[in-house]
Amino acid sequence: MTVEDTNICDLETANDLLDRLTLRQLHLMEEKMCRELNIESTINNGCFHLAKSRYIMGQTSVSKERLPTESSIEFSASTMCETVEEAGETKLKIVENDKDTVNPMHWFGILVPQNLHKARNIFQNALNFVVECANIQIQLLENFKNINVLRKYKHHLKSVE
Amino acid sequence: MALQAAVKGKLISVIGDEDTCVGFLLGGIGEINKNRHPNFMVVDKNTPVSEIEDCFKRFTKRDDIDIVLINQNIAELIRHVIDAHMAPVPAVLEIPSKDHPYDASKDSILRRAKGMFNPDDLSMFGAENYTT
Repeated sequence: MTVEDTNICDLETANDLLDRLTLRQLHLMEEKMCRELNIESTINNGCFHLAKSRYIMGQTSVSKERLPTESSIEFSASTMCETVEEAGETKLKIVENDKDTVNPMHWFGILVPQNLHKARNIFQNALNFVVECANIQIQLLENFKNINVLRKYKHHLKSVE
Repeated sequence: MALQAAVKGKLISVIGDEDTCVGFLLGGIGEINKNRHPNFMVVDKNTPVSEIEDCFKRFTKRDDIDIVLINQNIAELIRHVIDAHMAPVPAVLEIPSKDHPYDASKDSILRRAKGMFNPDDLSMFGAENYTT
């Protein structure tokens, strides 16, 4: 096998790999859009229940005025995410934290309507979709990087011919 | 102390309108750290664009934040800053709000991914093989 034959083989392999990565890119883009639409419908549902809570409790009762500010006491988030390695891929995963946390429902009063509990559950579910979407986005960017490297290699092979 | 630090995960931050921030904070992602820095910002019609930019840059520079959620209509105001953010982590996710549905054509990541498809590369034998 001559050097030229090796180069042609390498070029064919590179083209084949580029095709696969490009198809994967298209699939990932579609998956990201689907996840975003899931987030959209979940957020809309959650906002509906927030609006109902506001209707029951009053306009300022479920608003940014009730949220903690920089002058509030410090507290930790109860829902966080961590990086794990799965099958050679970096992924994010939701983790629960129970150290130095507060119950966010307490910002809005002691006796809150069921709609606010429902809204909390819906937004907690939305966080799962958010992390899924973030994982797809990380894979998209990694794939994009690989395609660029392969394109440069392909141009190098073509210039050697 | 080191074991506790290793067990704790990283934060999900949010830059959004009132309902988005209230909702996700109800979900439990809110934090005020020991430096009195929150991981969320409520944006309304009076919030200056410079403040949104500064907040976004602060969140992306923090090493304890893995995901930055931002409403897409707010992301449009600081599009140039978001486009300049190339690192995969923290992941910047443009999310819709109740008033502004998701528009894939405005998403920075999808625009970047779509931009790599050159029509000449995708033609069957390459544009150079077609003569008119």
